[in-house]
Amino acid sequence: MGYEYLDHPGDVGIRAWGETLEEAFLDAGRAVFALMADPENVAPAARREVRVEAQTLDGLLVEWIAALLAEKDLSGLIFSDFEVSIEGERTGYRLTGAALGEPPDPKRHRIGTEVKGISYLGLAVREADRGWIVEFIADV
Amino acid sequence: MELRLGPLGRSEWLLPRVGRMRVPGRIYADPETIAQLKEGEKGEWSALRQVANVAALPGIVSAAIALPDVHPGYGFPIGGVAAFDMKEGVAVVGGVGFDINCGVRLISTTLTRSEIDGEIERIGSELYRNVPAGLGSKGKLKLSVKEIDKVLIDGAVYAVNRGYGFDEDLSYIEERGRMTGADPAAVSDLAKRRQFEQVGTLGAGNHYVEIQYVERVHDHEAAVAYGLEEGMVVVSIHTGSRALGHQIGQDYLKEMATASERYGIEIPERELVCAPIESPEGRRYLSAVAAGANCAFANRQVIAHLVRTAFARVFGLNADEVRTVYDIGHNNVKVEVHTVDGEGRELLVHRKGSTRAFGPGRPESPPDYRAVGHPVLVGGTMGTASYVLRGTELGMEKTFGSGIHGAGRALSRKKAAKRFWGETVISELADAGIRVWAHSRRGAAEEAPAAYKDIERVVGAAVDAGINAVVARLRPLAVIKG
Repeated sequence: MGYEYLDHPGDVGIRAWGETLEEAFLDAGRAVFALMADPENVAPAARREVRVEAQTLDGLLVEWIAALLAEKDLSGLIFSDFEVSIEGERTGYRLTGAALGEPPDPKRHRIGTEVKGISYLGLAVREADRGWIVEFIADV
Repeated sequence: MELRLGPLGRSEWLLPRVGRMRVPGRIYADPETIAQLKEGEKGEWSALRQVANVAALPGIVSAAIALPDVHPGYGFPIGGVAAFDMKEGVAVVGGVGFDINCGVRLISTTLTRSEIDGEIERIGSELYRNVPAGLGSKGKLKLSVKEIDKVLIDGAVYAVNRGYGFDEDLSYIEERGRMTGADPAAVSDLAKRRQFEQVGTLGAGNHYVEIQYVERVHDHEAAVAYGLEEGMVVVSIHTGSRALGHQIGQDYLKEMATASERYGIEIPERELVCAPIESPEGRRYLSAVAAGANCAFANRQVIAHLVRTAFARVFGLNADEVRTVYDIGHNNVKVEVHTVDGEGRELLVHRKGSTRAFGPGRPESPPDYRAVGHPVLVGGTMGTASYVLRGTELGMEKTFGSGIHGAGRALSRKKAAKRFWGETVISELADAGIRVWAHSRRGAAEEAPAAYKDIERVVGAAVDAGINAVVARLRPLAVIKG
C-alpha cells in the first residue's frame, strides 16, 4: 500500500496503490487528506459512514473521493483513517466504507491546502502485476 | 491530428480548423506562452488541444478563444472564452468550471500608503482574525439550510439585507450582485448542506484578501471614473462559491454526461459534457450556475463588509470611506448581445478563468463607468502587482468583450512546495515590504510568487493585442491567505 503525488501544472496529481482494489482506494483517501493536514496527528476519534455506487470503477473512485470531501464539510471533520469494502453488482460497483477523524486544529495538525474536488481528467483505475493502482487529480 | 499555430500579429495567433473543429481557435499570448503551448501539446494535458476541443462543440460562434493567461484546465483551458448560438449551441460544464463565479472584489479607501505604513500589523491582524479563512472555517452570517435558498436567489442583495454592506455596494457589482434566473431547486441538497455554514468564508489555496496601494495610474479618465488615484490604499478580495460551486459542478458533470448522450453530442473530453441551451437539461444547468454565482457574490459581499468593519475599527473610517470599486467574476456563463459579422446577436458566452471586459457604452456597466467601460480586475501573486484594466472596442470585436484574470501558475504545487519553504517565502516577502498572514505554511509555499507566471508578460500581451487596456497598477502591502 502507498501513495505519491504527481507533478501537475495547476492542481495535485495522486497515485495510490495496494494489493487489493480496496487498499488502493483506501490510500487514495489518505493521500487526499494528507494534503490538508498531517495524518499522523489526526486522531480517528469520530467515524462517518460512506456509501457510493457507480457503473464503472473510474466512476466509483470519483464518487468515493467526492463523498469524502462532502463529508468533510458536512461533519466539520478531517480524516486520517478509512475503511473500504467494494462489491461488484450486476449493473456496476458499490463501495461501503467509513472515514475516521476529528475537527481540524491548527495547533496540532499541520494544516495544508484544502482539496475542493476531484477531476475526471487523468482518472485511472487499473490492475497491475501485483495489485491495483488508482490515479486522479485533486482540485485544490 | 496535428495542430499548427500561425501568427496573426505579435500577440495574436490562429489555430486553423482541422479535424472536427467547427471554427478556428484564436489565441492571444506572448511568444513565450505560445512556445509553452506548442511544447505542451506533446504532453497528455494540452491547453492547445483543449482550444481545439472547444472549437468542435455544436453552435460555437466565430472562434474558440484563449487569452494571455491560458493554461490547461478541465475541458476548457483556463483563460478560455467561447460564445454559442442560442438555438444551435450548448451549455458546457467545463466552460464554467467548479468554482462558479470565483472572482475579485476591489475596495477603495480614503487612506494613502503613508497613512497606513506604521499600522500594517494592526490592520493585517485585524483582518486575519475577522475574515474566516482556512480549512474548516465557518462564516459569520448564520443561515439555516433553508435560508441558503435566499442566498442562491438574491446573491449579494441578501447579504446587504442581512446587514453586510449597503445598497451602494450593489451598484458596483456585476449584475448588481444578483444573477437572474437562479433556481435553488436546480441545486442539490448536498451542495446546500455543504455550504450553508460557509457563506462569507475565504477558503484556501489561491484565495486571499490583500491590502494594496495604487502604484501607478495609466489611464486618468478611467481612474477618475473608478475613483482611483496614485498612493490610495485599496483592498482586493479573491474568492468564489466554495463547496457549493464544487458540488454543483460535480453533480452536473454526471447529469450532463447523460444529456450529451441523449442529444447525440460527441464529447472529446469528459469535462466538456454539455446539453443544448434550450433543452431542459441545459436550462437547468444554467439556473444552477446562476445560483452558484449568487452564492459567490454573497460571499464576497460579506467579506467586503468584514474588511470595511476592520478599517473602521483600526482607522476610524466611515462606511462611505471604504467603497466598492467593482466586483467581477472569472468563471461564469452569461447571455449577452454581441455584434457578429455586423449583426447584433444574442449569445451564450462561457468564460473560464476570464472576466467580462466590456468596452465603453455597454448598458451592463454601472452608469458612472459606462463612458470608459467597467473595470477588469486582475489578481497577481503575493509578491507581485495586480492590475485594474478595462475593455476596449477591439476586445468587443475579437474576444466577445473578455479580459484576463491572473498570472497563471508556472510551477506545479508539488514543485513549489518542494522548492520553497512557507517560512522563507513569508520572510522574503516581509523583506520586500509585504507582510503575509497565512492560515497554512504549506499553502504559503505553494503560492510562492515564483510559482506563477510573470503577470507583466500576461498584461503586456493583452494590451499589445489591443483587447484590454491598463488603468492602474496595484502593489501589495499585506496578504491574508486561507
